[in-house]
Amino acid sequence: MSSPVRRPFTTAFHALILVLLLWLVLYPNAYILVQSFIGAGALTFAHYIEFFGSASEREALWNSLWISGWSVVLSGLIGVPLAFLFYRFDFPGRKVFAALASLPVLLPPLVGVISFLFLYGESGILSRSLQRWFGLREPLFSFRGAGAILFVHAYTMYVYFYMFVSAGLKRLDYTLVEAARSLGASSSRAFLRVTLPQLAPSLVGASLLTFMTSMASFSAPYIFGGGIRVLSLQIYNSKLNGDLEMAMVETVILASSSILVLLLLQRYEGTSKYRSTTKGARQPVTLVSHPLKRLLAGGAGIVTVAFLLLPHLTLFLISFAKDGTWTMEILPPRYTIENYARLLSDSSFLEPILNSLQMAALATSANFVFALVAAYLIVRQQVRGRALLGSLILLPWALPGTVLGLSLASTFNQNSLWQGRILLVGTYWLLPLAYFIRHMPVVVRAVQASFEQFDPALEEAARSLGGTWIYSVRRVVLPMVLPGALAGSLLAFVTALGEFVTSIVIYTIHNRPISIEILAQLRQFNFGSAAAYSVFLIFLIGATFVVSQKYLSDIGDGAVS
Amino acid sequence: MMQRSCLCLNRFWAAALLVSGLALQPSCSGSGGGKLPLIVYSTHGKELLGEFEAGFELANPAVDVRWLDMGSQDVLDRVRSERENPQADVWWGAPSILFQQAEKERLLQPYRPTWSGEVAAEARSANDFWYGTYETPEVIAYNSAALKPEEAPRDWDDLLDAKWQNKIILRDPLASGTMRTIFCALILRSHQTTGTVEAGFQWLRKLDANTKDYVANLTLLSQKLARQEGLVTVWNMPDIVLQHTQYQYPLDYVIPSSGTPVVTDGIALLNGAAHADTARRFYEYVTSKESTLLAANKFYRIPCRRDIPRQELPVWIRQTTIRTMPLDWKVLEEKSNEWMKRWDSQIRNRGKS
Repeated sequence: MSSPVRRPFTTAFHALILVLLLWLVLYPNAYILVQSFIGAGALTFAHYIEFFGSASEREALWNSLWISGWSVVLSGLIGVPLAFLFYRFDFPGRKVFAALASLPVLLPPLVGVISFLFLYGESGILSRSLQRWFGLREPLFSFRGAGAILFVHAYTMYVYFYMFVSAGLKRLDYTLVEAARSLGASSSRAFLRVTLPQLAPSLVGASLLTFMTSMASFSAPYIFGGGIRVLSLQIYNSKLNGDLEMAMVETVILASSSILVLLLLQRYEGTSKYRSTTKGARQPVTLVSHPLKRLLAGGAGIVTVAFLLLPHLTLFLISFAKDGTWTMEILPPRYTIENYARLLSDSSFLEPILNSLQMAALATSANFVFALVAAYLIVRQQVRGRALLGSLILLPWALPGTVLGLSLASTFNQNSLWQGRILLVGTYWLLPLAYFIRHMPVVVRAVQASFEQFDPALEEAARSLGGTWIYSVRRVVLPMVLPGALAGSLLAFVTALGEFVTSIVIYTIHNRPISIEILAQLRQFNFGSAAAYSVFLIFLIGATFVVSQKYLSDIGDGAVS
Repeated sequence: MMQRSCLCLNRFWAAALLVSGLALQPSCSGSGGGKLPLIVYSTHGKELLGEFEAGFELANPAVDVRWLDMGSQDVLDRVRSERENPQADVWWGAPSILFQQAEKERLLQPYRPTWSGEVAAEARSANDFWYGTYETPEVIAYNSAALKPEEAPRDWDDLLDAKWQNKIILRDPLASGTMRTIFCALILRSHQTTGTVEAGFQWLRKLDANTKDYVANLTLLSQKLARQEGLVTVWNMPDIVLQHTQYQYPLDYVIPSSGTPVVTDGIALLNGAAHADTARRFYEYVTSKESTLLAANKFYRIPCRRDIPRQELPVWIRQTTIRTMPLDWKVLEEKSNEWMKRWDSQIRNRGKS
């Protein structure tokens, strides 16, 4: 490979990206790291000694680790086959179900998780049905503990695998597979030795995000844990108890575990680079023509997606149930539209929705631009210290949302330019900034995977044929990375729409987002209205998906065809 | 082919333009419409706040009252982190121990309301930084569809009875001011009788053995009780009455016969309030006699003010006799974190072993 072309642009962008990362990501986190070593104004290891000396803290660390490991495995087992099913085979309804399969990650905050309880919980629809069916006195299962957490994690996090692998499949160079096959490789061998390695960047990226999300996951263990100790809960409890030092130590341990996994995966990624050397050809979507197979493939897809949408449907059901009436029955006994009426009669009904849309759009636009530049620098320009860049970019994901909120709130709470601090607390801007930082890893990873999958020779060819740099970027680079960049941005956008854990720490009266409105409904026992508001959110997210599918999904197709 | 790709990229730029247009749309285009904003942080919930917002704006058409509704611990955290750039004018609602803390941290500014003489000395700050508004007694609540009143536990110690094994569901005490108050009060009670807190922790360990689950929020708690995943809990009286009457949850309560902690809920002006004058008017408005009666009749709040004519109060307040558990709130405020930490690491989910 020829040495990368350097130009003043690169250096300037590199410097800009690095400064932004140091200031917005490293600085607030360094604050937490330093705090974890300070006790009574002096340097101390006392909190760490206390952490490792405590049986419950060690137990929490171990639980977090193994639950996250299994979450990766289970999410992969759901997400990867689904991506293959929807992107390699054609059957009726494929496009619709392919789009619907991304919905679960967007289950609205709080109420979304609670809808699991009404579905799978001890007194939920499934449990009560089985109980009645078999005539049991006691419920069959209670949906509590590690199993329940894993279930919820796999359910919400498989989407990372699904989206990343789908984008990877779009970029897959099928000529290689054909070559392998014509050289006599069996289809399974071709899959293992050619297809899978090409998807490695997508798989690594998805595993990483799943692991980190699961380490930092809060709602699932909080609501379904049944007392199991995990680090994210320990942080919350320590903070509530005013034991901030311990909360900092727990945060540092949690983040270091995630970073350790990040480094391990990056090593693996570094040893296995598989790139498409030609522009390649996409595998034609296999039209399943045998009627029985067609039925089976379609059926499997539909059943899986239907299962994945059950919590959303439950939410829909709750939004029409009369509050307080659904007690011992399998399904709500009385239905009403008053939950919706109550919402619509509220003059400030639209305000949180507009706020969330606006902040998500702001943050995601910034994410998109940032990710293109950063990933280009890391992968293509091979700039010095790119491992550092890569790790800094992933750091926000290694930290629980609450911690991000806290660290931002304690860094940007005063104007002190020589310390690099500006006053953002209480202003509109802190929350969009937090969304930007929090979702930086998804977008960058998605773009990075795209860059890694195609060969720089293409860009060089464009240049050597006389294209300007701008031209080669616009006509070669951008079209190749857009599918990944858009998938990542879309994920960031919809996640920002419903973001809760960071929002609750730093929202203000000027930017109250949707999740906080849902919380306010919940606080007032307006369970039905909270569900109704969540249904609006689901529709909003669904509409985003439909619109983006309609307008954006062709771009990738156009570029490689 | 090339043409197609161009077309799609054009679409992309169109979409990008759309998104950035959305992003750059002028933010928070004044819902106040040039009115003077007054910002209130409160725990009292949308319905009560909406009612008083409307009332105050009717009397003060130039003012736009805006409130954020959240938990009391959240208000304190928020006010603390906004110290350098205070956003709110009034803090309405939180147990007095939180106001004490805020007073110590200089987050409040003093104001002496016109009715300052009408509350008990322990229900106000000695330096006028906060005043009590409502009294909140803690109670034992139960599912009234599954249990008859005579079957429900009558007193704290009844909760330890073996027949309630796996029938008790509690709100996670670490995150809840109400539960912290109850747990700490029970520890303090043992301290006052035996001179040590050990008996109190023993008591909580037995309660943990009977407890099926600690749940994340109050809505979930009432759902689980209504659906009979559990039958008994402890919580505060106004919330239980509200759920029963407003939302028809099958819940009822018992006031523990040996005495119960009564929490004072308060109001305060925030330090650095941008609209202090309007804030004082709002303070007076929501704590006036009429407002206090409205809160009692419509929102089940028991007034702190002692000059409210008894016959005008709702029946459920007049008919309830509450034996107050004598508590040293200062000790409770100082010790609560330490005690709850010990409870969390040594007792939570360990009572059965």
